[in-house]
Amino acid sequence: MQATAKRERRRSVLAPYLFIAPVIILLFIFNVMPLLISFFISLFDADISFHLNKFIGLGNFAEVFSDNRFYNSLGVTLKWTVVEVPCQLILALILAGLLTRNTVINKIFRAIYFMPIVCSATATGIMWKLILHSNVGYITYLLRMMGFGKINFMNTAGLTFYVIVFMSVWKTFGISTTILIGAMQNVPTVLYEAADIDGCSRARQFFAITLPGIRPTLWFLIMTRIIGSFQVFDIVYTTTGGGPSLTTETLVTYIYTRGFEVFRMGYASSLSVVLLGLILIITVIMYAAMLKGEKD
Amino acid sequence: MSNKLIRRIRYIPIFLLLLFFALLIILPVLWMALSAFKPAKEIIKYPPTLFPSNFDLGNFARLKTRLRIIDYVRNSLIYALGTTLPSVFLCTLAGYGFARFEFRGRNALFILVLATMMIPFQVTMIPLFLVVKKIGLYDTYPGLILPKLAAAITIFMMRSAFVTLPKELEEAARIDGATEFGTFWRIMLPQVKPSIITMLILGINAAWNDLMWPLLVTGDTKMRTLANGLALFIGSDTTEYGPAFAGAMVSILPMLLLYIFGQRYFVEGTVTSGLKG
Repeated sequence: MQATAKRERRRSVLAPYLFIAPVIILLFIFNVMPLLISFFISLFDADISFHLNKFIGLGNFAEVFSDNRFYNSLGVTLKWTVVEVPCQLILALILAGLLTRNTVINKIFRAIYFMPIVCSATATGIMWKLILHSNVGYITYLLRMMGFGKINFMNTAGLTFYVIVFMSVWKTFGISTTILIGAMQNVPTVLYEAADIDGCSRARQFFAITLPGIRPTLWFLIMTRIIGSFQVFDIVYTTTGGGPSLTTETLVTYIYTRGFEVFRMGYASSLSVVLLGLILIITVIMYAAMLKGEKD
Repeated sequence: MSNKLIRRIRYIPIFLLLLFFALLIILPVLWMALSAFKPAKEIIKYPPTLFPSNFDLGNFARLKTRLRIIDYVRNSLIYALGTTLPSVFLCTLAGYGFARFEFRGRNALFILVLATMMIPFQVTMIPLFLVVKKIGLYDTYPGLILPKLAAAITIFMMRSAFVTLPKELEEAARIDGATEFGTFWRIMLPQVKPSIITMLILGINAAWNDLMWPLLVTGDTKMRTLANGLALFIGSDTTEYGPAFAGAMVSILPMLLLYIFGQRYFVEGTVTSGLKG
């Protein structure tokens, strides 16, 4: 008895640290430290060689806030948040509502909707870019046959942005749908049975039972999608690279061009610090709104 | 009977809506798969065709001469497996540590892990690039892999998997004189096998499709992965659409197979990470 107790005590001293040490060290080196370094670099006028000898204090930040191209990319990003997130979530809500029950046919639809998760942004970009290509694209051809004229989807300021938003929704709505289905299946069925007895319509049930029932998941999705919209890069990089005339240049795309195309590492770092600040502010606001919503 | 009929009729518009979105997913992929077999002349032909007039493998052959496709596939494999296998192992160890032990600093360290989930990769990518370059790992596999090993979400998911296991399991093992690692490896690990498979599959898929990090940390065309190699190929405003289609198919197919055989894991992983948030 005493031997086990002793062993129990010895057990809890070193062993857990050995289990967690490798990842804690890795997280420190490759996540925490780089975060601190990025604050540091943002104070320098550093190029690709990272010679940190030109300390300019908050000079980079002063430049950021008077940089029209920064405001443009911020505008594009906010537009993405306002357009992509609602489109994606409303579509996912509708489809999840229609696919909640575990019938064979519903499972097939779910499997198809979820499939683009295996398509890289590169493959998705190549595919849509060429389907919508002004010369070889099949959809362009069909629209031309229907009398819409020759539409240049990938290179028309004002339109191309929405084309890329569409690609993004195409690639990810199945994920949102799947998460929402999971949440909807956890809503107690007795609630629906009671509503059926009261003669409640399906639409009314959706708003009165389903939506409140999936609220935590919905909040989580809204939050992750909004934060995700501030990190859009892949699909832009593989399709337009930010064009035409910067109408699809998101914040991260702009950071990438500053850092890895014109090699202004210090400036790019200060942009990324601003990005982090924006994401933190949004997270805090969303979290406060969520807590307030739970209280009401 | 008539009730059933009414329900069937009501289902028709719903079915058509669902079908519309299903076709929106399938048809473009199918079009690209078919186009990969069209010779160059047929791809730029007007009006465009749906089906290739004869199945031509020229585009796939040209992948080797125009794109170093063999290198890309090898690098993608090394990056996907080389990152995911050790990452899932280390994160499982940590998840077990957080789930099954009481120790000083546990909560603080776990909050630190969760907090790193909040740091977007786009904020740390420039310093990471700097570090990798300074220690001479630019254009190397360790440079690609090392920064991606610690994944907070995997630690979080594995901790959740271990937390629910009954205490009797490990107690029995300990009475039998098993070491801590032995208990973990032989008794506890087999209990969370589905979670491990889920994390492996999601990790492999994410790394295979990852664009940003390989783009930053490889310069030599020999070191490119499929995702960034193809992106640079198509980004150079190429008119070689055939190889682009074929290359995209090569990048999609392995993960599509993984999806067909492991769909359950894809879905479970996505749903649980969504519901636990």
